Amino acid sequence: MIDSLLRLSIARRWVVVFLVLVVAGIGVWNYQRLPIDAVPDITNVQVQINTQAPGYSPLEVEQRITYLVEVSIAGLPHLEYTRSLSRYGLSQVTVVFEDGTDIYFARNLINERLQQAKSQLPDGIEPEMGPIATGLGEIFLYTVHADASARQPNGQPYDATALRTLQDWVIRPQLRQVPGVTEVNTIGGYERQYHVTPDPARLLAFGLTFDDLVAALEKNNANIGAGYIERNGEQYLIRSPGQVADIPSIEGIIVAHRNGIPVTIRDVADVAYGKQLRTGAATRDGEETVLGTAVMLIAENSRTVSKAVAEKLAEIDKTLPAGITADPVYDRTVLVEKTIATVQKNLLEGAILVVAVLLLMLGNVRAALLTAMVIPLSMLMLMTGMVQSKVSANLMSLGALDFGLIVDGAVIIVENCILRLSQRQHRVGRLLDLHERMETVFQATREVFTPSLVSVLVVILVNLPILALTGVEGKMFRPMAMTVIIALLAALALSLTFVPAAVALFLNGKIEEKENAIVRGARNLYAPVLEAALRFRVLVLAAAVGFVVLCGWIGSRMGSEFIPNLDEGDLAVQALRIPGTSLSQSLEMQFQLERAVKDMPEVRTYFSRVGTAEVATDPMPPNISDGYIMLKDREEWPDPKRPKSDLVREIEEKLEAIPGNAFEISQPIQLRFNELISGVRSDLGIKVYGDDLDQLLKAGNAIARVLNSIDGADGVKVEQVAGLPVLSVEPNRAALYRYGLNVADVQDVLAAATGGEEAGQIFEGDQRFAVIVRLPEQQRGDIASLSRLPIPLAAGGYVPLGEVATLKLAPGPNQISRENGKRRLVVSSNVRGRDLGGFVTEARAKIAQEVQLPTGYWLEYGGTFEQLESASQRLTLLVPVTLLMIFALLLLTFGSAKDAALVFSGVPLALTGGVIALWLRDIPLSITAGVGFITLSGVAVLTGVVMVSAFRDKLDAGASIDTAIREGAMLRLRPILMVALVAALGFLPMALNTSTGAEVQRPLATVVIGGIISSTLLTLLVLPGLYRMAYRKAASVPAAEPALHQSH
Amino acid sequence: MNTKVMLIALLVTLAGCGSESAPQKPSASAEHSAEDEGHEEDGDQHEESGEGRVALSEEQVKTAGIGLEQVGPAAIRETLPVYGAIAPNAERVRDVGARFPGIIRNVSKKIGDEVRQGETLATVESNESLQTYPVVAPLSGTVIARNANSGEQTGEKVLFAIADLSTVWVELSLFPRDIAKVKVGQIVQVGASDPGLQGEGKIVYVAPFGTSANQTLTARVLLDNKERRWAPGLYVTANVTLSQSPVPLAVRSDALQSWEENTVVFVRGDEGFEPRPVQSGRTDGQWVEITQGLQAGETYAAANSFIVKAELGKGSAEHGH
Repeated sequence: MIDSLLRLSIARRWVVVFLVLVVAGIGVWNYQRLPIDAVPDITNVQVQINTQAPGYSPLEVEQRITYLVEVSIAGLPHLEYTRSLSRYGLSQVTVVFEDGTDIYFARNLINERLQQAKSQLPDGIEPEMGPIATGLGEIFLYTVHADASARQPNGQPYDATALRTLQDWVIRPQLRQVPGVTEVNTIGGYERQYHVTPDPARLLAFGLTFDDLVAALEKNNANIGAGYIERNGEQYLIRSPGQVADIPSIEGIIVAHRNGIPVTIRDVADVAYGKQLRTGAATRDGEETVLGTAVMLIAENSRTVSKAVAEKLAEIDKTLPAGITADPVYDRTVLVEKTIATVQKNLLEGAILVVAVLLLMLGNVRAALLTAMVIPLSMLMLMTGMVQSKVSANLMSLGALDFGLIVDGAVIIVENCILRLSQRQHRVGRLLDLHERMETVFQATREVFTPSLVSVLVVILVNLPILALTGVEGKMFRPMAMTVIIALLAALALSLTFVPAAVALFLNGKIEEKENAIVRGARNLYAPVLEAALRFRVLVLAAAVGFVVLCGWIGSRMGSEFIPNLDEGDLAVQALRIPGTSLSQSLEMQFQLERAVKDMPEVRTYFSRVGTAEVATDPMPPNISDGYIMLKDREEWPDPKRPKSDLVREIEEKLEAIPGNAFEISQPIQLRFNELISGVRSDLGIKVYGDDLDQLLKAGNAIARVLNSIDGADGVKVEQVAGLPVLSVEPNRAALYRYGLNVADVQDVLAAATGGEEAGQIFEGDQRFAVIVRLPEQQRGDIASLSRLPIPLAAGGYVPLGEVATLKLAPGPNQISRENGKRRLVVSSNVRGRDLGGFVTEARAKIAQEVQLPTGYWLEYGGTFEQLESASQRLTLLVPVTLLMIFALLLLTFGSAKDAALVFSGVPLALTGGVIALWLRDIPLSITAGVGFITLSGVAVLTGVVMVSAFRDKLDAGASIDTAIREGAMLRLRPILMVALVAALGFLPMALNTSTGAEVQRPLATVVIGGIISSTLLTLLVLPGLYRMAYRKAASVPAAEPALHQSH
Repeated sequence: MNTKVMLIALLVTLAGCGSESAPQKPSASAEHSAEDEGHEEDGDQHEESGEGRVALSEEQVKTAGIGLEQVGPAAIRETLPVYGAIAPNAERVRDVGARFPGIIRNVSKKIGDEVRQGETLATVESNESLQTYPVVAPLSGTVIARNANSGEQTGEKVLFAIADLSTVWVELSLFPRDIAKVKVGQIVQVGASDPGLQGEGKIVYVAPFGTSANQTLTARVLLDNKERRWAPGLYVTANVTLSQSPVPLAVRSDALQSWEENTVVFVRGDEGFEPRPVQSGRTDGQWVEITQGLQAGETYAAANSFIVKAELGKGSAEHGH
């Protein structure tokens, strides 16, 4: 089949070239459609259901909302699990579906179920689904800022409320129109509200209640339509405008009559613009601000969308009142472009190096360019493949690409074609005619095609275990394996069709196999060395084995990490304060942090979210803030060479000096990912399920004690569930009975007084603002005056709240977490200095023995160990299978177990160089480095196969074993050196680059370069000796008929 | 030969380097640094007398805005806020009738007029003697009711009511919890919804009977009203000063924080702030009497004491989902 394909390609060479151009064109088109991002999206298929319940405490939220929502969701198809969180004023149920579930399908199902659940929820409580976005969705952040001199139309300076109003009613509606934006989330400032704050004493004086006020407001603030009348043939619509529009008209509303005199709102209450009871705020450089976040729709192209948002925002900015600016503070494009620029630069420089090597070694410009053509062509085919398999272009997916590796196959073919063509020209002593050329090209290609096919197959095979990874690891690395496989397949297809066709087409002149100085020099150097290596083969082999053992030892002692973190260029600082910290206290503390850092010369700006935004995509309590430290471009730093870790250390020191905050420094995307995929991110997470919070906590603490007693436990933590200060107002039923009051009478007054009661809206054009009736601020804040809150009696008169209820300050539940419909508490632990599996087994045994759980309580073991377990199970099965398959492949190629084993033995030796290179550069082992080893084994097999098949060819031709080895090795020196050089140099820019994103690719490139050096040495020096040893006895007898030529 | 030498040299170098500890990148994983921090503090807690201490430099104290004060004596004014209403001083109200029934010939005062004692209010012609005689004001005050017009028969009716509004009563409603605390003679601050209107008086009477409807007792305050700004009928708020006593040990009320189910004050020692459990006594909202746990002269965190608590507790702060 391959033969006929080759013949066809050569015969119909113009058609092939044309087809390749068409495919390239499709690639260009697909490139436009390819989603580009900085990192792969590792979010699972999840839908957040957020329910705002102003005033509800965690317990009430759980009982009256979360539970009902969870029940309604249970049993959906493709549901993986649900987890929920009940906090003050917020219920969040996160529904996670199996990977691959269509998000819109899932949302539809949820929507349907929520409709049913709504009837059971308390009045006015509406569950809403979170934006259709992933962890990478927050692509653009901006703050709305006012100059000190800017004035509102009424002459007042712009305050947080006025800025928020601009954001809510001018900026946000416009940004939401940008295609690809699913939500614009706001945090900070205050929603403008009209506050009617009655003085309890004045209410008492008139014998009025909160309810009277609310009722009066509601009855005096409505427009109605009253049909139409016909008059003299015309139709008149009837409407009666009765809405109040401003503060004076609210003040004038009549509440009651006393002795014929109307009592207006003005007489019993103050009316003013007020501040909402907010759950979150935003700060920037030590001041309050309003922060907007554009959230990208799932599967959109972040670069396009954030560019569009930036343009729209600049447009809006021009229309804002004088002195007001909407200032972009975070733009994903920057990172994406930097990263992609790094990748492009690496690839381009690699490509140039590869072309240079080809030019030098082949000494034929046409051949070199022709070979280099494979790079862009296979890239374009890759684009098509990526779009088809829904892989986005990012650091990870493009990071493992090496143009050297891609052109390896083509290099070998072209090199051999040139060799054979020039040899034949030499032989016939004239230019070859077309037919001879075609015949020679076919023969030459056929001759070396097997090694390139085998090497590609080997790389694909070693990538298979990566494709089998699941979960976060899978999402991270599968694209990488996918792109490598697609690119190699593309290159393989090209070297089978395009390369021979083009060679036949374009290498038509006089082809002189120029033994240029480099190749000649290499030959001259190699000959004696090979001679020596053959003579001292036992010693060389022993040294090589020793070397492998040594490297294995070094490798086992090396540090390891999951993936090297992408340096996003900016920092995220999550500041954590003790539970129960109030929002304004938290803000004050945040200001201090920001002031400490903002004046550093490297820092552009420092902004933060404190608490929960309007759309609770990340439900943080007020004691936690997510801060972003945006750094200037390196050129603007006083010392552009300053290492980032040094800067981070300085920032850390500065923050450390501010008391009261614990903090975690990470990076914006990283932070968001950690929050989204949270669940349990420690090594071992033990979930205790049960009903009673106290019991759960007790069990959790007992488990923590057991864990702490086990060797290797590190950072044992019990989930923080308690500690929210609660003022509980417990009605005293006996006292209520005396006064003839209902519990609700007391609760309603309390809720209206402290939480406020909404009494309609004020419209200003599109804008609408709530009218809230609640106690004046100074009275709400004071427990003593709350206990004096007058509760009106049916018979007239009043009784103070403290008389009929007990006011108790006590810590209450901070949050209630549930999973799969049951309350749960997580005890988490990391494991240091011992194997995870053993630790978990011991923990299980000890906990079963020492912790008594009440009936109806159970445990579940989870955490990263689960993934590790499943991954290692998968890998322990897959890795041997893969190795076996590689061996089988080699066996198939050579038809000789001995030859297969010889080539195969090269793999561990090839890896040694990778280990050494990592070790020399102080880079820990990581999965990216692992991908490097995979690539390496492909190259090792390729060169091994090239070498061994040359030996066999010579043997077949009747040469003695020594001659065969010597001549074969000399013959293949050039292709092997070329393959090694292109592969190594192709990765060189990647290994040395320091710009954004380089750190992710660096380990991979380092491994490949180091490994190729060792693998080339191995192929050139160890393999001939090994071959000689293996065929010592058979030296005189020609090897068995090669299966190679017959197997196809 | 070349190769061998090279390989051996490489091996030797490697063996030499290999004996150093394996390079492990000090990954700046902040999570761990934060965690470790927490543990260090936990460790401290165990080492130092089972209590955590927070060491803060002067600089830190200043930037965090922590106010330092010393434990010392203070005068604590314990007050009880209650609602009440202004009523005329019933002892200073007089109904004026005609001594001899007759016809009112002349009325010289209208409602609201100020009168002095002995001033003529009206002239009445007696039915019996047909002589006119003046009806005079029995006390200085304000005419609050007039039921007399010229030509009318006086009969037995009350012609004028005169109230002396130079003092008024404030009728306070006392709820059962507070009854025991309020005694005759206590000083009361009275305020109206007009913020400029403030006054002070003493409790002159606590009613022996309660009202069953709202379970209250009435206490009465005598309030000076020379400027006539306290109009009877007004609702007022009042603060009864229950006690005003100097206490030897007191701290600012914002110094009190809850910590591990205790009320604590953060006392500054040589090694930093230490949460000291205290027993508190009387308070007036600004000052809190300390009956146990503190000594005079100790320095404690007053304003922003929460920061100290936050610093002490930050190891336990975490972001759970």
